[in-house]
Amino acid sequence: MGIELITLLIVASLLGLMALGVPLGITTLTVSLATAILYFGTRAGFFIVAANVGEVLHKYELIAVPFFVFMANVLERSGIARSLFDSMAIMGGRFRGSVAVQTCVVAVVLAAMSGIMGGEIVMLGLIALPQMLRLGYDRKLSIGIICAAGALATLIPPSVVLIVYGLAAQVSITKLFAASALPGLMLASLFIAYILVRVRLNPGLAPIFDIPETGLPLFRRMKFLKGVILPGLLIGAVLGVIYSGIATVTEAAAIGAVGALVVAAARKELTWVMARDAMRQTVLTVGSIIWLVLGAVSLIGIYNRIGGGEFLRGTLNALDIAPILVIVVMMLIVMVLGTFLEWIAIIFITVPIFAPVVVDLGFDPVWFGVLFAMNIQIYYLSPPFGPACFFLKSVAPKGIELQEIFAAVLPFIALQAVGLFLVLFFPEIALWLPGLFE
Amino acid sequence: EIFTIQTSFNAGDFSTQYLTETWLPKIAEMTEGRVEIQLTPNGSVVPARETPDAVAAGVLDGDFTSVNYFAGLEPAYAIMGDLISGYDTPEQMLAFCKDGGGEAVMQKAADAVTGGEVHVIACGPYSREALPARVPIRTFEDLAGKKIRSPEGLAAAVFKAAGASPLSIPFSEVYGALEKGIVDAADASAYVNNDATGLHDVAPYPLYPGIHSMPSMQFTLNTEKWDSLSEADQTALRDWWYEAMFAMAAEVTKKDTELAARDTAGEKIEVIDWAQADRDKLRKVARQQWEDYARKSDLAKEALDAHIAYMTEIGLFGN
Amino acid sequence: MKRLLAGYAASMNRISVFIGQSCSMLLFACILVSAFEVVMRYGFDRPTVWSTELAMTLCASAWVLSVGYVTERHRHISITMIEMLVSPKLWRVLRLIQMLIATGAVLVLTMALWGPAMKVLRRIETSGTALNSIQPSYFKLLLTAGCILYILQLAANIIHWAQDSEGDVAGGH
Ligand code: NA
Ligand code: NA
Repeated sequence: MGIELITLLIVASLLGLMALGVPLGITTLTVSLATAILYFGTRAGFFIVAANVGEVLHKYELIAVPFFVFMANVLERSGIARSLFDSMAIMGGRFRGSVAVQTCVVAVVLAAMSGIMGGEIVMLGLIALPQMLRLGYDRKLSIGIICAAGALATLIPPSVVLIVYGLAAQVSITKLFAASALPGLMLASLFIAYILVRVRLNPGLAPIFDIPETGLPLFRRMKFLKGVILPGLLIGAVLGVIYSGIATVTEAAAIGAVGALVVAAARKELTWVMARDAMRQTVLTVGSIIWLVLGAVSLIGIYNRIGGGEFLRGTLNALDIAPILVIVVMMLIVMVLGTFLEWIAIIFITVPIFAPVVVDLGFDPVWFGVLFAMNIQIYYLSPPFGPACFFLKSVAPKGIELQEIFAAVLPFIALQAVGLFLVLFFPEIALWLPGLFE
Repeated sequence: EIFTIQTSFNAGDFSTQYLTETWLPKIAEMTEGRVEIQLTPNGSVVPARETPDAVAAGVLDGDFTSVNYFAGLEPAYAIMGDLISGYDTPEQMLAFCKDGGGEAVMQKAADAVTGGEVHVIACGPYSREALPARVPIRTFEDLAGKKIRSPEGLAAAVFKAAGASPLSIPFSEVYGALEKGIVDAADASAYVNNDATGLHDVAPYPLYPGIHSMPSMQFTLNTEKWDSLSEADQTALRDWWYEAMFAMAAEVTKKDTELAARDTAGEKIEVIDWAQADRDKLRKVARQQWEDYARKSDLAKEALDAHIAYMTEIGLFGN
Repeated sequence: MKRLLAGYAASMNRISVFIGQSCSMLLFACILVSAFEVVMRYGFDRPTVWSTELAMTLCASAWVLSVGYVTERHRHISITMIEMLVSPKLWRVLRLIQMLIATGAVLVLTMALWGPAMKVLRRIETSGTALNSIQPSYFKLLLTAGCILYILQLAANIIHWAQDSEGDVAGGH
């Protein structure tokens, strides 16, 4: 059977099982196990799945996820999140959509202290989403903002995606980090612009926080900044720990978790019951997330071994089109793979084939790395396999279903695609900043 | 027949490109098209640590992997995989594998961790790793108190014995750790690869030629597949690998030297080349650690004895 | 028989919840270990050789062993769009199918993990690092144990389904 047909079968069975309501981790696991056994028999098939699934536990970076989840749970339970958003709403005054815009800005700051996707989305999902809903913001708009802005964690440096790409393609990580900063900010700006346009066209999406304080002149609203102080100090401390070289990014997340307890204690809201419940919620959240990841990685080796790579190589070789269109085709391939494969698997399959072609065509592999990372942003959001949506679902308030999340992120996927094509046709957006260091 | 061989190289590594372009076509030539090899990058089918079992199970036809990954499976792999501060050049150790009994030890190790389903065709290193550092480490004495990322057991033991503090930060954090000063130096890769990934931007005092690590690789095939080959093809496969490795060792040394010379001439990077006296001091400290490590298993002891005999023979303990 | 099954399901729930809630202590310890390493390294210039592996081991244990708790609380993530499209009766049947598929998949995964897990029992695999801990062996056994716990809790959930004694199932299967 040809690889085209197998790919189609894999995608179709993933979709079918998902639609039946089978848990997503089980869905990918079922398809992987079935493919592996049919293709390799039980001995080799069992081994390839067991080896790749087991490897997840060896991924040190992943331990930052529970740290972020715990931090968020403590901030949420101790009322810090509520007063933070009250402050933000008051500071934003009568400016429509101000809280959504501020959430985007916070997401960018959080992205500078997280290198993996997941931690930040869960954090925003726990802290920002309930508050935005409380302030009357439209559900879909709020959900979309959190998934899309939260995913920036791997575009704005530090980023494990860029590190893995840099190692795989042997491209300078310094340059990749420098090159991705501006595109990351550009995406955030696109999101903000989109919010502002939407809320102007339809004011019902973002009601103005109608309390007397928001009507005060700016300088008199300043005293309401106090809700921002403690969380601000916490974020500042974590960033400080990272950028002064005291701790690695993962360790800094642990410091943040301890810091959240300190902040709660400073507000006299730290109790044993609160800490215990925060920890139990964390266990439930990360316990459901890990099965998603275990399922997702189980397809890594299989797709490669059954000839996914060879198929791509053949497809590219058959192309007789302008170089820039070859890059476009590569981006489309990554998008398609992103609907059903895990990002590491996408790197394993595409980078060995794409990286030499990119260089041969005379393009800068740093620029291509940024395009790749931006494409991974789309992968995070795009159904059916959209991990950012899954992560948000793991903490979303009751009643928010995955299908609603998928619908909510659609406009943001379009914005990500716009950003991707901007960098594709204006490489300077990525290459200007690293060029300054030359 | 096409054999799928998983390597421990990254897709964009110089070694991958060099082997794919220059050497893979030759194996078809040498076997008149009966054998072809397809290399897949590190971790692309199974995690590096799992390749012996993957070859045994037939998931892969063979592997071309740094054997240090298997140190936890059998301590002999640590001694065979990277005899810290041992050989001076990769060619010396390649010769040890080829003619000095190295292959036999590797086969015993493979048999110990699988059920005889993995055939070791050849083994040996192709490069001496440089040591990127963010502060100057000019002498043996300078190692004292330096924080050095070196997750591998034997390397950590040698650095510790030399007075440094070994740390085991995962590779994905190495870059940031060097940049921000969490570590002073970090075990990474060959000079040419460190140059490509920009490590010298954050660690401008690389030690080159390196002082510690010369990771050795193995070339294996599933025993059943190996036995199905004619004797001529078996010989061709082994000869091909050693020819490729000797050529690659020469090529990497050439590249490394060129880049190091370029950086020495430039302003931003200071390439530090240890004096022989300092290297000898480190080898002396290291030898004690090899011996301690070799106590972990009989096979490890056997591996070290084979090394020492060969190193003595070629005069590495001459004085 | 019915009471026996109900008894099994109820005690399985209690075991899963107990293990899961104990896992929260492991995660807490993981946070403390990571923070401790920073203090030792930055404050005292004395990095430890054990903190990375210990933190990973604690965290992995919590992840894997919480599976019973997560399953008991129906917190696995799934797309439930079809619930709105079909009758409650059909949805109920579908929920059984979901649980059976999950049980089957995890059972096959357990079989896949079984060989490597037995192998490390015969010949221990260590990390090969400075600490050279038994982490790789432990992870292989841990994952197998996690899968078995998952299956046992799925069986309890299926009994609850059959006996109409499920609680709130909004989260997933
Ligand atoms: Na980031
Ligand atoms: Na996707």
